[in-house]
Amino acid sequence: MLKITAGEIKTVSQYIKDISGIYLDASKGYLLETRLSPLAEALDCKNYSELQHKASRDASKKIERQIIDAISTNETLFFRDKGPFELLQYKLLPELIDARSGGALKRQLRVWSAASSTGQELYSVAIVIRELLQGNLGKYNFHLLGTDISDNAVQQASYGKYNKFEIERGLDQAVLRKYFTAFGDSWKVRDELRAMVKFQKFNLMQPFTGLGKFDIILCRNVAIYFTMDDRKKLFAKLADSLADDGFLVIGSTESLTGICSRFEPKRHLRSIFYQKK
Amino acid sequence: MTMKTLSLLVVDDDPVIRLLLCQRLTKDNHMVSAVDKGQDALGLLRGDAQFDALITDLVLPDMDGIAVLEVAKSLRPTIEALVITGHASVDSAVEAMKKGAVDYLTKPINFDELSLRLDHIAIRQGLAKDARDILLAKEVTEQEAASTIQALEMRVSELQDALTAAAAILRDGGRDQEDKISQALAILNRT
Repeated sequence: MLKITAGEIKTVSQYIKDISGIYLDASKGYLLETRLSPLAEALDCKNYSELQHKASRDASKKIERQIIDAISTNETLFFRDKGPFELLQYKLLPELIDARSGGALKRQLRVWSAASSTGQELYSVAIVIRELLQGNLGKYNFHLLGTDISDNAVQQASYGKYNKFEIERGLDQAVLRKYFTAFGDSWKVRDELRAMVKFQKFNLMQPFTGLGKFDIILCRNVAIYFTMDDRKKLFAKLADSLADDGFLVIGSTESLTGICSRFEPKRHLRSIFYQKK
Repeated sequence: MTMKTLSLLVVDDDPVIRLLLCQRLTKDNHMVSAVDKGQDALGLLRGDAQFDALITDLVLPDMDGIAVLEVAKSLRPTIEALVITGHASVDSAVEAMKKGAVDYLTKPINFDELSLRLDHIAIRQGLAKDARDILLAKEVTEQEAASTIQALEMRVSELQDALTAAAAILRDGGRDQEDKISQALAILNRT
Protein backbone atom coordinates (compact mmCIF):
# COMPACT_ATOMS: atom_id res chain seq x y z
CA MET A 1 0.00 0.00 0.00
CA LEU A 2 1.24 3.50 -0.87
CA LYS A 3 2.24 5.42 2.24
CA ILE A 4 0.88 8.93 2.63
CA THR A 5 3.02 11.79 3.96
CA ALA A 6 1.86 14.38 6.51
CA GLY A 7 1.94 17.06 3.80
CA GLU A 8 -0.16 14.92 1.45
CA ILE A 9 -2.75 14.26 4.18
CA LYS A 10 -3.26 18.02 4.41
CA THR A 11 -3.46 18.76 0.68
CA VAL A 12 -5.42 15.63 -0.34
CA SER A 13 -7.89 16.15 2.55
CA GLN A 14 -8.44 19.74 1.43
CA TYR A 15 -9.00 18.54 -2.16
CA ILE A 16 -11.54 15.94 -0.97
CA LYS A 17 -13.33 18.54 1.14
CA ASP A 18 -13.50 20.88 -1.87
CA ILE A 19 -15.03 18.25 -4.18
CA SER A 20 -17.31 16.48 -1.70
CA GLY A 21 -17.60 18.31 1.63
CA ILE A 22 -16.19 15.24 3.37
CA TYR A 23 -13.69 16.45 5.95
CA LEU A 24 -10.85 14.20 7.04
CA ASP A 25 -8.61 15.61 9.75
CA ALA A 26 -4.90 14.88 10.20
CA SER A 27 -5.66 11.68 12.15
CA LYS A 28 -7.36 10.09 9.11
CA GLY A 29 -4.20 9.35 7.12
CA TYR A 30 -4.85 5.60 7.43
CA LEU A 31 -8.30 6.08 5.88
CA LEU A 32 -6.87 7.96 2.91
CA GLU A 33 -4.30 5.20 2.45
CA THR A 34 -6.71 2.26 2.63
CA ARG A 35 -9.34 3.89 0.42
CA LEU A 36 -7.21 5.68 -2.16
CA SER A 37 -4.20 3.39 -2.49
CA PRO A 38 -5.88 0.92 -4.91
CA LEU A 39 -6.95 3.80 -7.18
CA ALA A 40 -3.52 5.48 -7.03
CA GLU A 41 -1.83 2.21 -7.92
CA ALA A 42 -4.30 1.43 -10.71
CA LEU A 43 -3.53 4.84 -12.24
CA ASP A 44 0.24 4.28 -11.89
CA CYS A 45 0.65 7.18 -9.48
CA LYS A 46 3.89 7.22 -7.50
CA ASN A 47 2.25 9.08 -4.61
CA TYR A 48 -1.01 10.70 -3.52
CA SER A 49 0.04 14.16 -4.75
CA GLU A 50 0.29 12.73 -8.25
CA LEU A 51 -3.19 11.21 -7.89
CA GLN A 52 -4.55 14.59 -6.83
CA HIS A 53 -2.83 16.36 -9.74
CA LYS A 54 -4.14 13.80 -12.22
CA ALA A 55 -7.65 14.21 -10.83
CA SER A 56 -7.44 18.02 -10.99
CA ARG A 57 -6.21 17.93 -14.61
CA ASP A 58 -8.80 15.34 -15.74
CA ALA A 59 -11.39 17.36 -17.67
CA SER A 60 -13.77 14.38 -17.79
CA LYS A 61 -13.87 14.36 -13.95
CA LYS A 62 -13.68 10.57 -14.05
CA ILE A 63 -10.84 10.40 -11.50
CA GLU A 64 -12.67 12.86 -9.25
CA ARG A 65 -15.73 10.59 -9.33
CA GLN A 66 -13.55 7.57 -8.57
CA ILE A 67 -12.01 9.38 -5.59
CA ILE A 68 -15.48 10.28 -4.26
CA ASP A 69 -16.66 6.68 -4.71
CA ALA A 70 -13.59 5.43 -2.85
CA ILE A 71 -13.70 7.91 0.01
CA SER A 72 -17.44 8.06 0.73
CA THR A 73 -18.82 5.75 3.40
CA ASN A 74 -21.80 3.75 2.20
CA GLU A 75 -22.64 2.15 5.52
CA THR A 76 -26.39 1.64 5.47
CA LEU A 77 -28.99 -1.04 5.95
CA PHE A 78 -32.68 -1.61 5.49
CA PHE A 79 -34.70 -0.05 8.33
CA ARG A 80 -31.54 1.29 9.99
CA ASP A 81 -32.25 2.13 13.67
CA LYS A 82 -35.92 0.96 13.34
CA GLY A 83 -37.11 4.02 15.36
CA PRO A 84 -37.30 6.48 12.43
CA PHE A 85 -39.38 4.02 10.40
CA GLU A 86 -41.85 3.53 13.27
CA LEU A 87 -41.92 7.31 13.46
CA LEU A 88 -42.77 7.51 9.74
CA GLN A 89 -45.40 4.81 9.93
CA TYR A 90 -47.23 5.91 13.05
CA LYS A 91 -46.70 9.67 13.18
CA LEU A 92 -45.17 11.55 10.25
CA LEU A 93 -46.87 9.89 7.27
CA PRO A 94 -50.37 9.72 8.82
CA GLU A 95 -50.14 13.40 9.84
CA LEU A 96 -48.92 14.47 6.42
CA ILE A 97 -51.50 12.40 4.57
CA ASP A 98 -54.18 13.93 6.76
CA ALA A 99 -52.86 17.45 6.15
CA ARG A 100 -52.58 16.94 2.38
CA SER A 101 -55.94 15.20 1.92
CA GLY A 102 -59.08 16.89 0.66
CA GLY A 103 -59.56 18.83 -2.53
CA ALA A 104 -60.20 17.51 -6.00
CA LEU A 105 -56.54 17.09 -6.99
CA LYS A 106 -54.14 14.55 -5.56
CA ARG A 107 -51.57 16.60 -3.68
CA GLN A 108 -47.93 15.64 -3.97
CA LEU A 109 -46.17 14.19 -0.95
CA ARG A 110 -42.44 14.58 -1.41
CA VAL A 111 -39.87 12.59 0.56
CA TRP A 112 -36.13 13.16 0.18
CA SER A 113 -33.41 10.81 1.36
CA ALA A 114 -30.60 13.37 1.15
CA ALA A 115 -27.73 10.90 1.49
CA SER A 116 -29.36 7.78 0.10
CA SER A 117 -26.16 5.75 -0.28
CA THR A 118 -27.04 2.43 -1.93
CA GLY A 119 -30.78 2.99 -1.55
CA GLN A 120 -31.76 0.89 1.46
CA GLU A 121 -33.16 3.88 3.38
CA LEU A 122 -35.45 5.08 0.58
CA TYR A 123 -36.66 1.57 -0.27
CA SER A 124 -37.44 1.12 3.44
CA VAL A 125 -39.52 4.32 3.30
CA ALA A 126 -41.31 3.00 0.19
CA ILE A 127 -42.07 -0.27 2.02
CA VAL A 128 -43.46 1.66 5.01
CA ILE A 129 -45.70 3.69 2.68
CA ARG A 130 -47.01 0.58 0.92
CA GLU A 131 -47.63 -1.21 4.21
CA LEU A 132 -49.39 1.85 5.62
CA LEU A 133 -51.62 2.58 2.64
CA GLN A 134 -52.11 -0.96 1.32
CA GLY A 135 -54.70 -0.72 -1.49
CA ASN A 136 -55.12 3.04 -1.08
CA LEU A 137 -51.68 3.93 -2.47
CA GLY A 138 -53.22 5.11 -5.76
CA LYS A 139 -55.12 7.86 -3.95
CA TYR A 140 -51.88 9.65 -3.16
CA ASN A 141 -49.15 11.15 -5.26
CA PHE A 142 -45.88 10.17 -3.58
CA HIS A 143 -42.54 11.35 -4.93
CA LEU A 144 -39.57 9.65 -3.29
CA LEU A 145 -36.17 11.06 -4.17
CA GLY A 146 -32.81 9.66 -3.11
CA THR A 147 -29.59 11.56 -3.71
CA ASP A 148 -25.98 10.72 -3.06
CA ILE A 149 -22.61 12.07 -4.08
CA SER A 150 -21.25 8.67 -5.10
CA ASP A 151 -21.94 7.50 -8.67
CA ASN A 152 -21.53 3.88 -7.65
CA ALA A 153 -23.98 4.24 -4.78
CA VAL A 154 -26.59 5.93 -7.00
CA GLN A 155 -26.13 3.25 -9.63
CA GLN A 156 -26.64 0.40 -7.17
CA ALA A 157 -29.61 2.16 -5.58
CA SER A 158 -31.28 2.65 -8.97
CA TYR A 159 -30.67 -0.97 -9.93
CA GLY A 160 -32.01 -2.17 -6.58
CA LYS A 161 -29.95 -5.34 -6.34
CA TYR A 162 -28.52 -6.41 -3.01
CA ASN A 163 -26.32 -9.30 -1.96
CA LYS A 164 -27.36 -11.61 0.82
CA PHE A 165 -25.27 -9.80 3.44
CA GLU A 166 -26.97 -6.51 2.61
CA ILE A 167 -30.36 -8.27 2.65
CA GLU A 168 -29.67 -10.05 5.94
CA ARG A 169 -29.25 -6.70 7.67
CA GLY A 170 -32.60 -5.28 8.69
CA LEU A 171 -35.07 -7.21 6.52
CA ASP A 172 -37.28 -9.92 7.90
CA GLN A 173 -38.29 -12.88 5.76
CA ALA A 174 -41.89 -11.80 5.15
CA VAL A 175 -40.83 -8.35 3.89
CA LEU A 176 -38.05 -9.92 1.82
CA ARG A 177 -40.43 -12.28 0.04
CA LYS A 178 -43.06 -9.58 -0.49
CA TYR A 179 -40.84 -6.88 -1.97
CA PHE A 180 -37.80 -8.69 -3.41
CA THR A 181 -37.13 -11.36 -6.02
CA ALA A 182 -34.25 -13.85 -5.79
CA PHE A 183 -31.67 -13.02 -8.43
CA GLY A 184 -28.94 -15.66 -8.36
CA ASP A 185 -27.22 -15.31 -5.00
CA SER A 186 -28.64 -11.80 -4.62
CA TRP A 187 -32.05 -10.18 -4.33
CA LYS A 188 -33.65 -7.56 -6.50
CA VAL A 189 -36.25 -4.99 -5.44
CA ARG A 190 -39.60 -5.73 -7.12
CA ASP A 191 -40.65 -3.35 -9.88
CA GLU A 192 -43.65 -1.95 -8.00
CA LEU A 193 -41.31 -0.71 -5.26
CA ARG A 194 -38.64 0.48 -7.67
CA ALA A 195 -41.23 2.48 -9.61
CA MET A 196 -41.95 4.53 -6.47
CA VAL A 197 -38.41 5.89 -6.11
CA LYS A 198 -35.92 7.93 -8.08
CA PHE A 199 -32.22 8.26 -7.39
CA GLN A 200 -29.84 10.91 -8.68
CA LYS A 201 -26.36 12.17 -8.00
CA PHE A 202 -26.23 15.30 -5.87
CA ASN A 203 -23.58 17.08 -3.82
CA LEU A 204 -25.05 18.49 -0.61
CA MET A 205 -22.41 21.23 -0.60
CA GLN A 206 -23.96 22.77 -3.73
CA PRO A 207 -26.99 25.09 -3.82
CA PHE A 208 -30.33 23.24 -3.63
CA THR A 209 -31.70 25.17 -6.60
CA GLY A 210 -34.37 23.28 -8.51
CA LEU A 211 -35.01 20.60 -5.89
CA GLY A 212 -38.20 22.25 -4.63
CA LYS A 213 -39.83 21.75 -1.24
CA PHE A 214 -40.11 18.44 0.56
CA ASP A 215 -42.60 17.21 3.15
CA ILE A 216 -40.16 14.82 4.78
CA ILE A 217 -36.37 15.05 4.61
CA LEU A 218 -34.17 12.25 5.90
CA CYS A 219 -30.62 13.49 6.32
CA ARG A 220 -29.08 10.81 8.45
CA ASN A 221 -25.45 10.14 9.25
CA VAL A 222 -23.95 12.31 6.54
CA ALA A 223 -23.37 15.67 8.25
CA ILE A 224 -21.04 13.88 10.68
CA TYR A 225 -18.47 13.84 7.87
CA PHE A 226 -18.63 17.63 7.38
CA THR A 227 -16.96 20.51 9.23
CA MET A 228 -19.10 22.40 11.74
CA ASP A 229 -19.28 25.34 9.33
CA ASP A 230 -20.50 23.10 6.48
CA ARG A 231 -23.04 21.43 8.79
CA LYS A 232 -24.51 24.85 9.59
CA LYS A 233 -24.76 25.70 5.88
CA LEU A 234 -26.30 22.29 5.10
CA PHE A 235 -29.05 22.48 7.72
CA ALA A 236 -29.85 26.10 6.78
CA LYS A 237 -30.41 24.90 3.19
CA LEU A 238 -32.47 21.94 4.45
CA ALA A 239 -34.66 24.35 6.43
CA ASP A 240 -35.25 26.31 3.21
CA SER A 241 -36.15 23.08 1.38
CA LEU A 242 -38.61 21.78 3.97
CA ALA A 243 -42.33 22.58 3.78
CA ASP A 244 -43.49 24.72 6.71
CA ASP A 245 -45.33 21.76 8.26
CA GLY A 246 -42.75 19.23 7.04
CA PHE A 247 -40.52 16.93 9.05
CA LEU A 248 -36.76 16.52 9.24
CA VAL A 249 -35.20 13.29 10.50
CA ILE A 250 -31.48 13.16 11.28
CA GLY A 251 -29.26 10.31 12.47
CA SER A 252 -30.09 8.87 15.88
CA THR A 253 -26.72 9.93 17.31
CA GLU A 254 -26.74 13.36 15.68
CA SER A 255 -27.78 16.66 17.21
CA LEU A 256 -28.72 20.07 15.83
CA THR A 257 -27.76 21.90 19.02
CA GLY A 258 -25.47 24.74 18.04
CA ILE A 259 -25.91 23.92 14.35
CA CYS A 260 -29.31 25.22 13.31
CA SER A 261 -31.73 27.17 15.50
CA ARG A 262 -34.49 27.13 12.87
CA PHE A 263 -35.55 23.62 13.87
CA GLU A 264 -37.31 22.49 17.01
CA PRO A 265 -36.82 18.91 18.26
CA LYS A 266 -39.94 16.86 19.05
CA ARG A 267 -40.12 13.42 20.53
CA HIS A 268 -42.33 10.53 19.48
CA LEU A 269 -41.82 7.14 21.14
CA ARG A 270 -38.11 6.29 20.82
CA SER A 271 -37.29 8.88 18.18
CA ILE A 272 -36.75 12.56 17.73
CA PHE A 273 -37.82 14.49 14.67
CA TYR A 274 -37.54 18.18 13.85
CA GLN A 275 -39.96 20.78 12.60
CA LYS A 276 -39.36 24.35 11.63
CA LYS A 277 -40.06 26.86 14.42
CA MET B 1 -8.23 -28.92 7.50
CA THR B 2 -11.73 -27.53 7.80
CA MET B 3 -11.93 -24.17 9.56
CA LYS B 4 -15.34 -24.58 11.18
CA THR B 5 -17.92 -27.31 11.67
CA LEU B 6 -20.63 -26.82 9.09
CA SER B 7 -24.14 -28.19 9.26
CA LEU B 8 -24.67 -29.77 5.84
CA LEU B 9 -27.69 -31.10 3.98
CA VAL B 10 -26.76 -33.66 1.33
CA VAL B 11 -29.26 -34.65 -1.38
CA ASP B 12 -28.29 -37.52 -3.67
CA ASP B 13 -30.29 -40.56 -4.77
CA ASP B 14 -27.19 -42.74 -5.28
CA PRO B 15 -26.78 -44.64 -1.97
CA VAL B 16 -23.06 -45.21 -2.53
CA ILE B 17 -22.31 -41.55 -3.17
CA ARG B 18 -24.52 -40.57 -0.25
CA LEU B 19 -22.64 -42.95 2.05
CA LEU B 20 -19.23 -41.78 0.83
CA LEU B 21 -20.23 -38.14 1.25
CA CYS B 22 -21.51 -38.78 4.78
CA GLN B 23 -18.33 -40.66 5.76
CA ARG B 24 -15.96 -38.07 4.36
CA LEU B 25 -17.83 -35.00 5.56
CA THR B 26 -18.29 -36.46 9.06
CA LYS B 27 -14.56 -37.25 9.10
CA ASP B 28 -13.94 -33.61 8.22
CA ASN B 29 -15.86 -32.75 11.40
CA HIS B 30 -19.05 -31.53 9.72
CA MET B 31 -22.58 -32.45 10.80
CA VAL B 32 -24.38 -34.17 7.95
CA SER B 33 -28.01 -34.90 7.18
CA ALA B 34 -28.44 -36.92 4.00
CA VAL B 35 -31.60 -37.63 2.01
CA ASP B 36 -32.27 -39.25 -1.36
CA LYS B 37 -35.18 -37.11 -2.54
CA GLY B 38 -35.62 -33.38 -3.19
CA GLN B 39 -38.93 -33.27 -1.33
CA ASP B 40 -37.32 -34.81 1.76
CA ALA B 41 -34.66 -32.09 1.65
CA LEU B 42 -37.29 -29.37 1.39
CA GLY B 43 -39.14 -30.97 4.31
CA LEU B 44 -36.02 -30.62 6.45
CA LEU B 45 -35.46 -27.04 5.26
CA ARG B 46 -39.04 -26.17 6.23
CA GLY B 47 -38.37 -27.53 9.73
CA ASP B 48 -36.33 -26.14 12.61
CA ALA B 49 -32.94 -27.64 11.76
CA GLN B 50 -30.26 -25.12 10.86
CA PHE B 51 -28.11 -25.75 7.78
CA ASP B 52 -25.07 -23.79 6.66
CA ALA B 53 -24.88 -25.41 3.24
CA LEU B 54 -26.79 -27.61 0.82
CA ILE B 55 -24.99 -30.13 -1.38
CA THR B 56 -27.35 -31.44 -4.02
CA ASP B 57 -27.17 -33.59 -7.11
CA LEU B 58 -28.72 -31.82 -10.09
CA VAL B 59 -30.53 -34.99 -11.17
CA LEU B 60 -32.92 -36.38 -8.55
CA PRO B 61 -35.71 -38.93 -8.89
CA ASP B 62 -38.58 -36.70 -7.77
CA MET B 63 -37.49 -33.20 -8.82
CA ASP B 64 -34.81 -31.16 -10.51
CA GLY B 65 -31.81 -30.29 -8.29
CA ILE B 66 -32.02 -26.68 -9.45
CA ALA B 67 -35.63 -26.55 -8.20
CA VAL B 68 -34.41 -27.85 -4.81
CA LEU B 69 -31.79 -25.10 -4.84
CA GLU B 70 -34.35 -22.41 -5.70
CA VAL B 71 -36.79 -23.43 -2.98
CA ALA B 72 -33.92 -23.83 -0.47
CA LYS B 73 -32.73 -20.28 -1.20
CA SER B 74 -36.22 -18.88 -0.82
CA LEU B 75 -36.72 -20.74 2.48
CA ARG B 76 -33.25 -20.00 3.83
CA PRO B 77 -31.74 -16.99 1.99
CA THR B 78 -28.38 -17.34 3.77
CA ILE B 79 -27.81 -21.02 2.95
CA GLU B 80 -24.81 -21.73 0.72
CA ALA B 81 -25.31 -24.29 -2.05
CA LEU B 82 -22.96 -26.60 -3.90
CA VAL B 83 -24.33 -28.63 -6.79
CA ILE B 84 -23.10 -31.95 -8.09
CA THR B 85 -23.48 -32.64 -11.76
CA GLY B 86 -23.03 -36.01 -13.39
CA HIS B 87 -21.46 -34.59 -16.50
CA ALA B 88 -19.32 -31.54 -17.04
CA SER B 89 -22.25 -29.60 -18.38
CA VAL B 90 -21.39 -25.91 -18.33
CA ASP B 91 -25.02 -25.05 -19.04
CA SER B 92 -26.43 -26.79 -15.99
CA ALA B 93 -23.62 -25.46 -13.79
CA VAL B 94 -24.18 -21.89 -15.04
CA GLU B 95 -27.93 -22.28 -14.51
CA ALA B 96 -27.28 -23.45 -10.92
CA MET B 97 -24.91 -20.53 -10.27
CA LYS B 98 -27.59 -18.15 -11.60
CA LYS B 99 -30.03 -19.61 -9.11
CA GLY B 100 -27.62 -18.99 -6.26
CA ALA B 101 -25.20 -21.94 -6.08
CA VAL B 102 -21.74 -20.80 -5.01
CA ASP B 103 -19.96 -23.61 -6.84
CA TYR B 104 -20.36 -26.98 -8.54
CA LEU B 105 -18.58 -30.33 -8.57
CA THR B 106 -18.58 -32.96 -11.30
CA LYS B 107 -18.89 -36.70 -10.77
CA PRO B 108 -16.88 -38.66 -9.87
CA ILE B 109 -16.56 -36.44 -6.84
CA ASN B 110 -13.05 -35.42 -5.89
CA PHE B 111 -13.40 -35.34 -2.11
CA ASP B 112 -10.30 -33.21 -1.56
CA GLU B 113 -11.79 -30.64 -3.91
CA LEU B 114 -15.08 -30.82 -2.00
CA SER B 115 -13.24 -30.26 1.31
CA LEU B 116 -11.53 -27.24 -0.18
CA ARG B 117 -14.84 -25.75 -1.35
CA LEU B 118 -16.36 -26.34 2.09
CA ASP B 119 -13.31 -24.71 3.70
CA HIS B 120 -14.01 -21.62 1.61
CA ILE B 121 -17.65 -21.64 2.67
CA ALA B 122 -16.62 -22.04 6.33
CA ILE B 123 -14.14 -19.16 6.08
CA ARG B 124 -16.72 -16.94 4.37
CA GLN B 125 -19.35 -17.79 6.98
CA GLY B 126 -16.85 -17.16 9.78
CA LEU B 127 -16.05 -13.74 8.35
CA ALA B 128 -19.75 -13.00 7.91
CA LYS B 129 -20.37 -13.94 11.54
CA ASP B 130 -17.50 -11.70 12.69
CA ALA B 131 -18.95 -8.86 10.61
CA ARG B 132 -22.40 -9.48 12.11
CA ASP B 133 -20.95 -9.46 15.64
CA ILE B 134 -19.12 -6.20 14.98
CA LEU B 135 -22.28 -4.66 13.52
CA LEU B 136 -24.31 -5.81 16.49
CA ALA B 137 -21.77 -4.26 18.87
CA LYS B 138 -21.87 -1.06 16.83
CA GLU B 139 -25.66 -1.00 16.86
CA VAL B 140 -25.81 -1.49 20.65
CA THR B 141 -23.28 1.32 21.13
CA GLU B 142 -25.22 3.54 18.72
CA GLN B 143 -28.49 2.87 20.55
CA GLU B 144 -26.94 3.83 23.87
CA ALA B 145 -25.39 6.97 22.37
CA ALA B 146 -28.65 7.85 20.60
CA SER B 147 -30.64 7.56 23.81
CA THR B 148 -28.22 9.90 25.65
CA ILE B 149 -27.94 12.39 22.79
CA GLN B 150 -31.70 12.54 22.23
CA ALA B 151 -32.37 13.15 25.94
CA LEU B 152 -29.79 15.94 25.91
CA GLU B 153 -31.23 17.40 22.69
CA MET B 154 -34.71 17.65 24.26
CA ARG B 155 -33.29 19.06 27.51
CA VAL B 156 -31.24 21.72 25.71
CA SER B 157 -34.33 22.70 23.72
CA GLU B 158 -36.40 23.07 26.92
CA LEU B 159 -33.65 25.14 28.56
CA GLN B 160 -33.36 27.36 25.49
CA ASP B 161 -37.13 27.96 25.52
CA ALA B 162 -37.00 28.82 29.24
CA LEU B 163 -34.07 31.19 28.77
CA THR B 164 -35.83 32.90 25.88
CA ALA B 165 -39.00 33.32 27.97
CA ALA B 166 -37.02 34.59 30.99
CA ALA B 167 -35.08 37.04 28.80
CA ALA B 168 -38.34 38.37 27.32
CA ILE B 169 -39.71 39.05 30.80
CA LEU B 170 -36.50 40.75 31.94
CA ARG B 171 -36.42 42.96 28.81
CA ASP B 172 -40.01 44.10 29.38
CA GLY B 173 -39.48 47.79 30.19
CA GLY B 174 -42.91 48.55 31.59
CA ARG B 175 -42.87 46.30 34.65
CA ASP B 176 -41.55 46.36 38.19
CA GLN B 177 -37.95 45.14 38.44
CA GLU B 178 -38.48 42.80 41.38
CA ASP B 179 -41.64 41.35 39.82
CA LYS B 180 -39.74 40.64 36.57
CA ILE B 181 -36.86 38.95 38.39
CA SER B 182 -39.23 36.84 40.43
CA GLN B 183 -41.19 35.73 37.32
CA ALA B 184 -38.01 34.97 35.38
CA LEU B 185 -36.63 32.94 38.29
CA ALA B 186 -39.93 31.07 38.56
CA ILE B 187 -39.63 30.03 34.88
CA LEU B 188 -36.02 28.95 35.30
CA ASN B 189 -36.79 27.01 38.49
CA ARG B 190 -39.60 25.13 36.74
CA THR B 191 -37.26 24.01 33.95
